[in-house]
Amino acid sequence: MSVAFKAITTENGKGIFHLFPALCKGCGLCIEKCPVDTIGWAKQLGAFGTPVVEPGHGKPCIACKKCQLVCPDAAIWIERRDGKGRSDSGRQPE
Amino acid sequence: MALAAQPQMPRVWRAETKPHKFCPGCGHGIILKALGEAIDALGIQERTIFGCDIGCSLLSWDFFNLDTIQTHHGRTTPVLVGIKRVRPELVVVSYMGDGGAYAIGAQHLVSSAVRNDLVTIIVVNNTQYGMTGGQMAPTTLPGQKTETTPYGRDVKLTGRPILGPELVAAVAPPGAYVARGSIANVVQLKNFIQKGLLNQIEGRGIAFIEALSACPTNWRTNAAETWRFIEKEMAAYFPTGELRTPGEAKNGQAGEGTPGAPEH
Repeated sequence: MSVAFKAITTENGKGIFHLFPALCKGCGLCIEKCPVDTIGWAKQLGAFGTPVVEPGHGKPCIACKKCQLVCPDAAIWIERRDGKGRSDSGRQPE
Repeated sequence: MALAAQPQMPRVWRAETKPHKFCPGCGHGIILKALGEAIDALGIQERTIFGCDIGCSLLSWDFFNLDTIQTHHGRTTPVLVGIKRVRPELVVVSYMGDGGAYAIGAQHLVSSAVRNDLVTIIVVNNTQYGMTGGQMAPTTLPGQKTETTPYGRDVKLTGRPILGPELVAAVAPPGAYVARGSIANVVQLKNFIQKGLLNQIEGRGIAFIEALSACPTNWRTNAAETWRFIEKEMAAYFPTGELRTPGEAKNGQAGEGTPGAPEH
């Protein structure tokens, strides 16, 4: 059985920021870990009715994927604009 | 556009049960992601048994597409050791919190370490009892405020926090793999867990990994304060790194099974 999650996709700097609001619980760990402070709170609400995150608040995204790494809910997926992100291990789009 | 973007969950994660049952910002999600990636990398999903303990760790009972068993108070380890002895081809992962592993279930952990059982144990250390509301645990840091230590933990009255990996490293025979990772360094943590699983698959002995974790709900911290507590205060008392590797034990360096300081 496969489950589909809807993404909010934002292009910013070097990265394509996919955020899955049904998974994001609004803990904010990614905001603190972002080295260029591009991540901030968005208007949309997530799994627990708390704001989700979005890029575009500080400097442009450098696609370092730290936010994807520390997200406990796998709610963030960063794709590089040069297309290297698709080679990531893990669940591929079906 | 035919393909919609999907979350990059490890293949072994069970997507139907997501979002998982842990609180926002909980370290369990990060540690279970590292475990999932390690299982994916080794390709052992078909023959892995996952055991969770009581406490917050039991909320992972439907986390993976793995055969899962839940037991109480540190009994996860002996139950899984039993499974491993009957079916040696399986890979067993015992997933516990610091309450189950160090307080109520310490007997099982110590006995397993002395016997050098073929089991991979992952202990999540969040410095208190999360599920019951944040009471003092054996791992609570000196001076840390919890529900039952409102003025901070008094080490004269309640002793100093237990160092789990050091304890296991001191009693385990050669062949053991003992390490401490942290959710502040996910890549290293995944590496430790993968080495721990390999240690069991190759039949060398016990693998014990402690993971420093976060509990923003009971610490009553925001994201910035959570990271500060893990990276500064917890890391100062609980040094991360490998304490015992099977290779060094074979060379006779740890013949008595009692290496001194953690090796960085």
